[in-house]
Amino acid sequence: MRPGSRSTLAIVVVSVLMGMLPPLDQAAAQPKPIRIGEINSYSGVATVYTFPYREGLALATKEINDAGGVLGRPLEFIHRDDKLKPDEAVKAARELVLQDKVDFLAGCISSSVGLAISAYAKDAKVLYFATHCQTSRLTWDDGHRYIAHTTNNVNQYVRVAAKKAASLPIKKWANISPDYEYGHNMWEEFSTYLKKLKPDVEFVQLNWPKLGESDHSSYITALLQSGAEGLFSSVWGAQSIAFVKQARPFGLFEKMRYLAPSVGNPDELDPLGKEAPIGAIATPFAWYDPGLNKLHPKLAGWAKKYTEWAKERGLKDPQPKLGGSWGYASAYIIAEAIKRAKSTDTDKVIGALSEGFEMDFPWGKVVMRGCDQQALPPQWIGVVKMDAQGKPIAADIEETPGREVARSCDEVKELRAAAAAKQKK
Amino acid sequence: MDFVTSLFPWITNGPLIVVQVMSGLSVAMFLFLVSVGMSLIFGVTRIVNLAHGSFYMVGAYLMVTLAEMLPDHPLAFWLALLVAPLGVGLLGGVIEVTLLRRIYHREPLLQLILTFGLILVIGTLVLLVWGPDNKSVARPEALAGSVKILGQPFPSYYLLVLALAPIVAVGLWVIFYRTRWGMLIRAATVDREMLGALGVDVATLYTQVFVFGSLLAGFGGALSAPTVAVALGMDGDVLTTAFVVVVIGGLGSFAGSFVSALLVGELQSFGILVFPAVSIVLLFAIMAVVLIVRPWGLLGHPEE
Repeated sequence: MRPGSRSTLAIVVVSVLMGMLPPLDQAAAQPKPIRIGEINSYSGVATVYTFPYREGLALATKEINDAGGVLGRPLEFIHRDDKLKPDEAVKAARELVLQDKVDFLAGCISSSVGLAISAYAKDAKVLYFATHCQTSRLTWDDGHRYIAHTTNNVNQYVRVAAKKAASLPIKKWANISPDYEYGHNMWEEFSTYLKKLKPDVEFVQLNWPKLGESDHSSYITALLQSGAEGLFSSVWGAQSIAFVKQARPFGLFEKMRYLAPSVGNPDELDPLGKEAPIGAIATPFAWYDPGLNKLHPKLAGWAKKYTEWAKERGLKDPQPKLGGSWGYASAYIIAEAIKRAKSTDTDKVIGALSEGFEMDFPWGKVVMRGCDQQALPPQWIGVVKMDAQGKPIAADIEETPGREVARSCDEVKELRAAAAAKQKK
Repeated sequence: MDFVTSLFPWITNGPLIVVQVMSGLSVAMFLFLVSVGMSLIFGVTRIVNLAHGSFYMVGAYLMVTLAEMLPDHPLAFWLALLVAPLGVGLLGGVIEVTLLRRIYHREPLLQLILTFGLILVIGTLVLLVWGPDNKSVARPEALAGSVKILGQPFPSYYLLVLALAPIVAVGLWVIFYRTRWGMLIRAATVDREMLGALGVDVATLYTQVFVFGSLLAGFGGALSAPTVAVALGMDGDVLTTAFVVVVIGGLGSFAGSFVSALLVGELQSFGILVFPAVSIVLLFAIMAVVLIVRPWGLLGHPEE
């Protein structure tokens, strides 16, 4: 063999391995897929959320394609890693649009990444489905016609939490939230809505540890002396686990009611185990809750299907997660918008989205609202308890339809006008 | 006095002040444990080991694995606390011999790039081995609860930390000032070439120091594991704090790390009481002040 042919062979082998060459026997027969460039954080800290999300998305895509696809064409997601960086995400978005010629963009877990892709989408006139990040600025303050948000935003679950807080005999609330966009957004939404519902509440000891702080002892002892009866917390993930583990032996949870939206999910409850904050109020996706299953008889079947799928795909923790449900819902919502538009043409799909529609999912009705292209899924709130086996769970789940709490279309108009006025200055 | 109590209502509450002091102390002791190894490695090899936080993370993850592997026995935790740092020391040794040894004489930028590369490699390996999910290590049964200090509950696990860190500090002092090996290390921080010229095998000394520094990082990680979530990303958070503590204390000075950890821990603790909103900048404000007054750190020495 000549050296040249050997390197040619190597290139062929590599390209086959990388999946760049389509299998010859199928390429001709299949209709052209609808391609969606999906940008999310697939390395590092966020993978605890994005891996289950990606499996939810993949499961729904498979179901959609097995049932004949969308407009007779299969749906295909092309994943890119944003490394949690807005500039990486925009670079990936540009490549996906210009080189890979995708029909739509999707993805994001970090709010700042979502906002960056959204800004690019607006300029490039490409429709972007924000699927995983949660800031309300996406479709509200900074909203435009080229973005749709397929999952709930901060406003919806924080308002449910504030409603619950208003119903408790607690007057003094303290705060511990990570010092960045999301943490401030959370506290702002919580404190203003709570004050509106219950004007005599007081706010004391507002703590802003840095995002990812590992040692909260000094914040905890400061909270102990604050005289607060309730503690709102928007620390999440590993930081939330660390905070709870550190606060418990100080007796913090006996002294004040803990309200932390994220703490009821298995990502945090399972590692906490015996150290879970019993009695804490949270806004989890408790797919195992008997009450929720009575309300939504199809939920158990979906949970089983998802778990089997995730297991098969090699996820170390295959149980259903919020992210899994979001990925699953996102694929179906995107497919539905294209179906309603009867076309993959960007303007036509935006037209379908701006009319709004409702979809039934195993966990209830999701409204895609037309005026802001924002999803309004059911919102849940519950209490952390121990089950009979001594495993912490979220229990006593109450459901509120998202559209009952979210800001109205008129309020969104005001937010957008205010943001536009601010920009002009 | 009325003015003072209205501004700081906690000032008359003795027990709370004591608990605040103690929580500051426990923060300080963790800071010391994670930063001293970094300072030591820099002092001798002149390498700013950016992968120090990664060693800390591996120490914590090894605790997770050992806690799962070992039988449910009261002594299992202590065995794990002993074995996990040794594992990290071994990892440090392999990295020193295969990689770092090649770049001691190259420009500092290359060293930074290499140790930064190690952060990425170790981070990815941890994701592959342990998966993306958050992990947790239970405190040993005897230290799971709290003790009452002047009527205020205080986590008993922190008492262990408050006891262990000074033991480590004294142990290090004994090693540095009372053993031949410690003398060689001190000599190496002052003049490496001369030490080599006097017939000391500097290459081996470097390896030993790097293993020892990694071991200390691993110990910090292993000891912290029960108080935090063992998760991806814990490397970066620790790296920043350790780096600031080392800079304040003086690069290469282990006593400096101790003093600096105490200073940062307590100032942060009371800073949170007084101005919770600015606590995030406190650490860096302290560093800025120290760098202005003494650019070489509290107990460091100015470079010639």
